[in-house]
Amino acid sequence: MTAPPPPIPPAPPAPPAPLLGRVVATERKPNTPHEFHFWTSLDSPIGIGTIVRVDGETPVAGQLVRVYGVVVEGFSYTDLQSPIHDVLGHDGTPGGASVAATQRAEIRLYTAHVLRQIPEEPLQPVPMGSVALASDEDVAVALRMDSYLQPGSRTGIPVGIYRAGAMEAPIYLDADFLLGPEAAHLNITGVSGLATKTSAVEWLLASIFTHFPPQKGSVAAICFNVKGPDLLFLDQPGQIEDSDLAMYEKLGVKAAPFERVRYFAPYTAKGFAINTLRSNEQLAHNVTPLTWGLNEVMQFAEVLLNKDDIDAKADAFIDFLQERVIGREFHEAPLSTPHRVRSFGELETFFRDLLRGLEDRGGESWRTHHIATIRKVRNRLSNISTRCAGLVTDEGTVSDLPFGSFQDRTVYVVDVASLEEDAQDLIFARVVSKLREHLERRDLGVSHVVVFVDELNKYAPADGPDTYVRKMLLDISERGRYLGLVSFSAQQFRSQVHRRVVGNSGTALYGRMDMDELATPGYAVLSVATKTKLATLEKGQLMVRHPHFAQPIFVRFPRPAVMRGRDGVERFPQAEDIGLEVAVMRALRQLDPAVSLDWVKRTIAGHEESEVIRARNVTMQTRPERVQPFFEAQFRRVVPAEASSPPRPAPVPIRSLPSDDPYGF
Amino acid sequence: MMAPVSDASLHGVQRRLAALLPAERWLSSPATLELASLGAQDAPRLIAAPVLEGGVLRERRVTGDAPPRFAAFLDGTQTSKVIAHADGVPIVYGTVASVIRQRVDRRMRTWEAARVRHALYAPLALLSQRWRDALSAIDVPVVDTLARRQVESPHPFALQDAAIHAVQEAREAAERELAELWCARGDDQPDGVGELLVDGAITGSERVATASCIVGVVKTHRTLYAEGEALRCVLRLERGVRSSVFRITSPKRTPVASWYLRLRDASARDPLWGLVRIEVAEQPGASAKRIGERADDVSRWVLAEALPLALPDGRWDKMLYGIRDCEEFLRAIQ
Repeated sequence: MTAPPPPIPPAPPAPPAPLLGRVVATERKPNTPHEFHFWTSLDSPIGIGTIVRVDGETPVAGQLVRVYGVVVEGFSYTDLQSPIHDVLGHDGTPGGASVAATQRAEIRLYTAHVLRQIPEEPLQPVPMGSVALASDEDVAVALRMDSYLQPGSRTGIPVGIYRAGAMEAPIYLDADFLLGPEAAHLNITGVSGLATKTSAVEWLLASIFTHFPPQKGSVAAICFNVKGPDLLFLDQPGQIEDSDLAMYEKLGVKAAPFERVRYFAPYTAKGFAINTLRSNEQLAHNVTPLTWGLNEVMQFAEVLLNKDDIDAKADAFIDFLQERVIGREFHEAPLSTPHRVRSFGELETFFRDLLRGLEDRGGESWRTHHIATIRKVRNRLSNISTRCAGLVTDEGTVSDLPFGSFQDRTVYVVDVASLEEDAQDLIFARVVSKLREHLERRDLGVSHVVVFVDELNKYAPADGPDTYVRKMLLDISERGRYLGLVSFSAQQFRSQVHRRVVGNSGTALYGRMDMDELATPGYAVLSVATKTKLATLEKGQLMVRHPHFAQPIFVRFPRPAVMRGRDGVERFPQAEDIGLEVAVMRALRQLDPAVSLDWVKRTIAGHEESEVIRARNVTMQTRPERVQPFFEAQFRRVVPAEASSPPRPAPVPIRSLPSDDPYGF
Repeated sequence: MMAPVSDASLHGVQRRLAALLPAERWLSSPATLELASLGAQDAPRLIAAPVLEGGVLRERRVTGDAPPRFAAFLDGTQTSKVIAHADGVPIVYGTVASVIRQRVDRRMRTWEAARVRHALYAPLALLSQRWRDALSAIDVPVVDTLARRQVESPHPFALQDAAIHAVQEAREAAERELAELWCARGDDQPDGVGELLVDGAITGSERVATASCIVGVVKTHRTLYAEGEALRCVLRLERGVRSSVFRITSPKRTPVASWYLRLRDASARDPLWGLVRIEVAEQPGASAKRIGERADDVSRWVLAEALPLALPDGRWDKMLYGIRDCEEFLRAIQ
């Protein structure tokens, strides 16, 4: 049972907000129901993104109109008609400005977009009135957060703090619109290094894990670590500042690393060690190998075999293999023996037998499949275990994510950073497909899964081929919310991502943006000032779009309380390249600390590397209570089998010598 | 009163009169008489004035700089519009306003409250009883333009001029009211309230014309207080050069000390370009040297107001920015 979210500390009663300005409208610059203008004193704390409240002075239907808006543009000018007048006034000497006895009359004029009008009907142009900074309560009403922050039915997920003047107001997303079912998905965009995309997602996951309402079910996250060590130390405490702590406190989130994190990564191509930067022995306790066999891969062969590789004929033969051969007893001429194909190794044996039989018979086709097609399919499928070495095993050992026993408030990190693109695609496709299958059956272990994938412009590009992965991402974005399958995606250039993927993201976050990107049509709805602010955002600042917010809002969020990737690799250096014995020892020690290097050396002496790796993989997958006997048994099962095989009969001469052969010896 | 209430606006007055005089015709968008140059103007003239500083009027260079000294600026505005003709007699709607804009940290803000007044100006003796009844029935002050002035004929333009003069007197009264309040406030405070720069002459009020904290700056020169060589001397003044101090007297006005000062280089421009006349209170019994020193001090203060330029106002060569600020303020609130 998940504990209810901690209460947000109540804000102290705020003094009445001082008036900052007045609404103005002219014939050339009129107010509308969605936009208004106001002026302020020169020293007002108003800026782009500030939320303001307008109090109308004329009742409509017996009620004074109140309008909330967010500042999107600012103007400043003096009573000069032409810049040349100022030049003349100072005799062309800029320093002359400082001696002017009086400063010119100057205006700060702002344009704001309407967030909400009360009453909402009749919707009228914004009336003249006084302008004040929005208070905490005003912000909640302006952003319609009041509808989901009601005690008892609260579904608010803190995303950050809105600051204006000395006022700080927590901003909440609606869990129903972030994790479904009303809307779902989150997309974050911004330039690399400065946009704090990963930090924002880490913070938001912590916030979700804290505030996701128990009545909505359980939630876990799967993060695909596609580059560097960014997500590899989520369970380690990081350095945060006092200002961050204050934000954590205000937002009701514990400033601590994630309590439950599990890491998954394939082996290296050699198969000795796990292929991840989180390979330090101190952190090995929650790192699990990710290995798949033939069954796991064949279902997603389309991911690895593109249309250039596989034509319709080859596709049909692969279907035949999947339906009739793999995982079953199969025997049919010209095969010399029955086959039960469960691994890539056994598949290769099947192909060898089949092709030899066809050649012996001089046949050119088998079951309407031409021998060239069979050879082509054999070539492509056999190649998979090479291309995805470390992930796909020949012997069929499977070590997978705990589908069916996912735990609430747990982060599962799949480290694919060191893998080839094909292997990354395969992992993504299969993991997401399995998530979907289990969520459809309601047996995943949790009711909601957040899937975080970075570099979305690589996996779901706006242009380029229609890949399996892109189709899968489209499927998640369009239908995932009904299942509880939620994507949190990130990329540098939103304009380069498929429109339907980002368009279906109910919530969008924007970090610091590149001006070229902001010049693309997707940002045409933003004012020039808002774009400028986006291009100069500090780390820790975001612009948020959410279905409840009529306009984008700027917020600050605290630095994640987890160790940063680059700090992690310094604190926990990557394990050195190790030999097979050490690799086996380290792996088995996770199950039994008594395992010694000498014991490992004795046990595996005389065995092939592949045998040792298979034995280790089986042991790690099984996680037996008595590790050492189990590990040894893997060899006994294999080695004695060879030792106990009957001695080969003596070679039989091709032809017996006649007893009376005078030339015989 | 800060701003006109709606009923006292031009159209409000027109509506109320129209209700009382439905058969009359009303001018829908009358022109401002002052802008249309239909207003009365004094004829240009030269007047010799007694020189207080030395025997003859001559050029005196103002040397050195001074920090901005004026604490505030006072100006007034007036607008006059004919809203109807009653049997050929113009009924003028006049608005006068005045304000003191105080300078605090180099920014201008309104001191006390601006004065804004609306009234109807008409020669009551020439109006029919019906019109007089209608004018007295609405809640707007009515000023009889012939009460203190005679006209040569009932020519509509002559009557208009009389109305404009009456509006002008109302404007001067509004300015005078604020200036006297400033002086009184200065009397109440040990350190005074600082120097007030008044747009135009200060001779209309004895209280103001004798106050040491008041400086008047006159931009218009329909009357020049110099003749002969003295006139040529005034017209020759270079930038930063003033004339000798002379005395201005008038039967109905308080005598003041005055001098001309060239604010800007008038090369290749008309001789009055950048020329202002400054008025200050006389210093009874003061020596010529003391009078000259006072004129130099005040001239430095005025020259310090040469920036920023009062552009885009067309009179920027003579207008100080503080005065323009007053005008802009009054334009904004009317």
